[in-house]
Amino acid sequence: MSQEIRVALAGNPNSGKTTIFNALTGSRQHVGNYPGVTVEKRTGTFEMSGTRVHVTDLPGTYSLSSYSPEEVVAQREIVDAIPDVMVVVVDSTTLKRSLVLLAQIMQTGDRIVLCLNMADEARTAGQKLDKPALETLLGFPVVETVGHKGQGISELKDAILKASQLERAPSRLVLGERLDTALAAITFHIAKTDIPKATHPWHAVKLLLDDPLYVDRLMEKKGPGKRAVQQAALERKKLEDLSGEDISLFVTQRYYGFVDGLLRETLLRSAHIDTRALSDRIDAFVVNKVAGIPVFLLVMYAIFWLTFTVGEYPMEWIENLFAWSGDAINGAWPAGKLDVLRSLIVDGILAGVGGVVVFLPNIILLFLGLAVLEDTGYMARAAFLTDRLMHRFGLHGRSFIPMITGFGCTIPGIMATRTMENEKDRLTTMLVLPLMSCGARLPIWMLLIPAFFPPEHRASMLFGIYAIGIVLAFLLALLLRSTLLRGEEAPFVMELPPYRVPTLRSVVGRIIDRSGAYLKKAGTIILAISMLMWLLTSYPKPPQATDVPAAQQPSALEYSIAGRIGKFIEPAIAPLGFDWKIGVATLGAFAAKEVFVSQLGVIYAMDDFDEDDDEDIGTLRDALARDYTPLVGFSLMLFLLIATPCMATVAITRRESGSWKWAFLQFFGLTAIAWVISFAFFQIGSLLL
Amino acid sequence: MNAEPTPNTELTNALEDYLETIFELVKERKVARVKDIVKARNVKSASVIPALRRLADLGLIHYTKRESIDLTETGEATARRIYSRHKLLVRLFRDFLGMPAELALQDACAMEHNLSDAGVDHLVRFFEFLQSCPDGHDFIERFKGCTLVNAESPQDIATCCAKLALSQNDPNIISLRQLKPGQGGSVIRIQGTGAIRQRILDMGIMPEVHIQLERRSPAGDPLWVRVQNSQLSLRKKEADMILLRRDVPAAANTNAP
Repeated sequence: MSQEIRVALAGNPNSGKTTIFNALTGSRQHVGNYPGVTVEKRTGTFEMSGTRVHVTDLPGTYSLSSYSPEEVVAQREIVDAIPDVMVVVVDSTTLKRSLVLLAQIMQTGDRIVLCLNMADEARTAGQKLDKPALETLLGFPVVETVGHKGQGISELKDAILKASQLERAPSRLVLGERLDTALAAITFHIAKTDIPKATHPWHAVKLLLDDPLYVDRLMEKKGPGKRAVQQAALERKKLEDLSGEDISLFVTQRYYGFVDGLLRETLLRSAHIDTRALSDRIDAFVVNKVAGIPVFLLVMYAIFWLTFTVGEYPMEWIENLFAWSGDAINGAWPAGKLDVLRSLIVDGILAGVGGVVVFLPNIILLFLGLAVLEDTGYMARAAFLTDRLMHRFGLHGRSFIPMITGFGCTIPGIMATRTMENEKDRLTTMLVLPLMSCGARLPIWMLLIPAFFPPEHRASMLFGIYAIGIVLAFLLALLLRSTLLRGEEAPFVMELPPYRVPTLRSVVGRIIDRSGAYLKKAGTIILAISMLMWLLTSYPKPPQATDVPAAQQPSALEYSIAGRIGKFIEPAIAPLGFDWKIGVATLGAFAAKEVFVSQLGVIYAMDDFDEDDDEDIGTLRDALARDYTPLVGFSLMLFLLIATPCMATVAITRRESGSWKWAFLQFFGLTAIAWVISFAFFQIGSLLL
Repeated sequence: MNAEPTPNTELTNALEDYLETIFELVKERKVARVKDIVKARNVKSASVIPALRRLADLGLIHYTKRESIDLTETGEATARRIYSRHKLLVRLFRDFLGMPAELALQDACAMEHNLSDAGVDHLVRFFEFLQSCPDGHDFIERFKGCTLVNAESPQDIATCCAKLALSQNDPNIISLRQLKPGQGGSVIRIQGTGAIRQRILDMGIMPEVHIQLERRSPAGDPLWVRVQNSQLSLRKKEADMILLRRDVPAAANTNAP
């Protein structure tokens, strides 16, 4: 009864694969109307009539060549892991191109279910497909779906189960006599190795295409493997001489030939209504020569305005809630009993976690903005508009996706660099990504900007700090590309999907996802660090020396461990205008950027505000404004923008770049740059003011 | 001259070959000796001697035993004619048609004896045209660019011709980059190699597919194109790799009655 099967989803980028995945498994994966949103394979499960189905969502690819990491990941799952059922998701409105991937997967010997997604759009465009005929010709189930509306999903589940019961049948792919003969000749040799039989046609075509991944694999098999490689070279030469084309074009044309034949038999009526007309009209305005850049800047500014100005109101409510809770606990606490615990709860946990949770509305609004950009399809236009600029700085239009994602969080941003084919482009983007001011730094700006600058300048200050990060990222990228990472550049061939109306489900789902992760972090790492900070700032208590006047006694905070650490590093940061309190908070920011805020909250709660427990964020701002000048404030903002990517960033850079070298370079390089810039800013500023 | 009737007054193919060899040896070393001829033609001296005797009988060479061989005046004229014909054919096969040298030599030897003088004259004039007229020279150069021409795949000759037209500055054969926004054309060829080319192919851009330039980015690069049912962006650099035949403006046709 408890049978288990493994299913993998493959498809072109932006074919709605992830939507299908979410609909199947009921999970909430990040979906966008933007090619290349899935960068890592994800897994989920669903259960049906006693069978447990494990579903893997593969990164979207246009073909199974081995040029980009996504293509290699997809191949490993499709060819080597051999899933029980392979679901090929296809955008019904671009059948011709999409089905080429199906043709390739047919060579891998997997049991296939073809999922014709976005069937409603194709129908509206007037396309009519003979589904039964298609099933007969292909020899496997075909299901029509509308992923975002959940239509056709139960049929798809049925088809998956049905397909898993079937015997693995030989593929019905016909690629023309000349190619099929050549493949047969190569397969003859492959058959003598231990490569699984079902994947022989696939290995043969890869050898013919001289794919190093497969050539190496066969060369390892010694005798017969080597002969297969030699045979492939012979056949390649023969086909190239005969056709006058190079082999990759020859093979690609044969795939298209197969798809053409298939569609000739099954397409009853092709699309004749231009459903993209409205989208094209919007584009004619939104990306034209004159309006393109202003519209882009306006959109970006609107997101910051939404995040900052609109976010201010709900922020106040949460602030008040935490202040009220602190007061309530203090008021209700039996006087003099377990004062340490009271202090831990109010000064440690509430001040620390509260200081971070307060920014939840801003995080939600920022991700709302990004989600709408992605789902509507504007993000692809933004890449189109910015590629020239990115390119000039040695980056790539595809760097735009990770960098924009980096405004949310650096971690998914770095993971999104996997869509980039060129290793050097990818490393460059990865290394400069922490300069994109992430969501976790938003609380810092929200705390510091109002503390030091008048209301009319706040929005532009925020925009400014983001802009400084972007400019620095570009300059640093240029530097890296002309020194350490000099080399070839990758192609920029990107699909521009039509505009789509974002579904509430997708946008809300994503926001819940991201803000859930934020709250989780607040409840775990930040809670732990807040408690640790409380401990470090509370102990050891200074001795009550009676013979020294009170004014000359060190404050409790200075005497604590945190105070001593801060004092110890003070000489290094004093030239930037920072004192030991900022130093302590900055150290904490390495754990997670937003901890800076909670740390300051804890420090100030412990320091001067002992008698009135009014340690909400408003008074923290007042305290900062009292203790530091705007010059120090901005120097601090610069330092926090550039320096020390957080722990998680270091870890993910290590994982994605494959070596500690790059992670360390990123960490120490950025910190050094931050020091120099803050130093220069503060010193020059001090001279001028 | 010798009035004595000879059994064979005709210069056979084999004799022509010997005469040619002697001509080459004399040109090279001033003299030709039997052992050199044996070596050059890769035959036994037993078969060389009777042939030399017959050539001497025909009055084409001076030949006495154990002496070096020299051409008579008629002999030299005949040899020169045969030799130039040989060289002409070797050049045709090797230099113009691009055949391997060994095969070219073999085919030239097979053909040189059977051509009529008039045929040779025509060929000579054709070669003079190819060599001295600028058009002819270009023609040869372009033809060499299409060495993979094969009778079995006429479509590829067409592709090659399109390429020829391109180098002849056919104004309608341009790269994708040169299109103006709103213009379209059908793809002829995708140049380049590796990842970039494969990506272009994967996006459905291949010979005979229609492609249209929608717009350029405000900064001029990248381009926004429409291919089959989808819209793509690519950089100028990549667009340079895509050769196409520009659509002839519809206005040109509607002008006709």
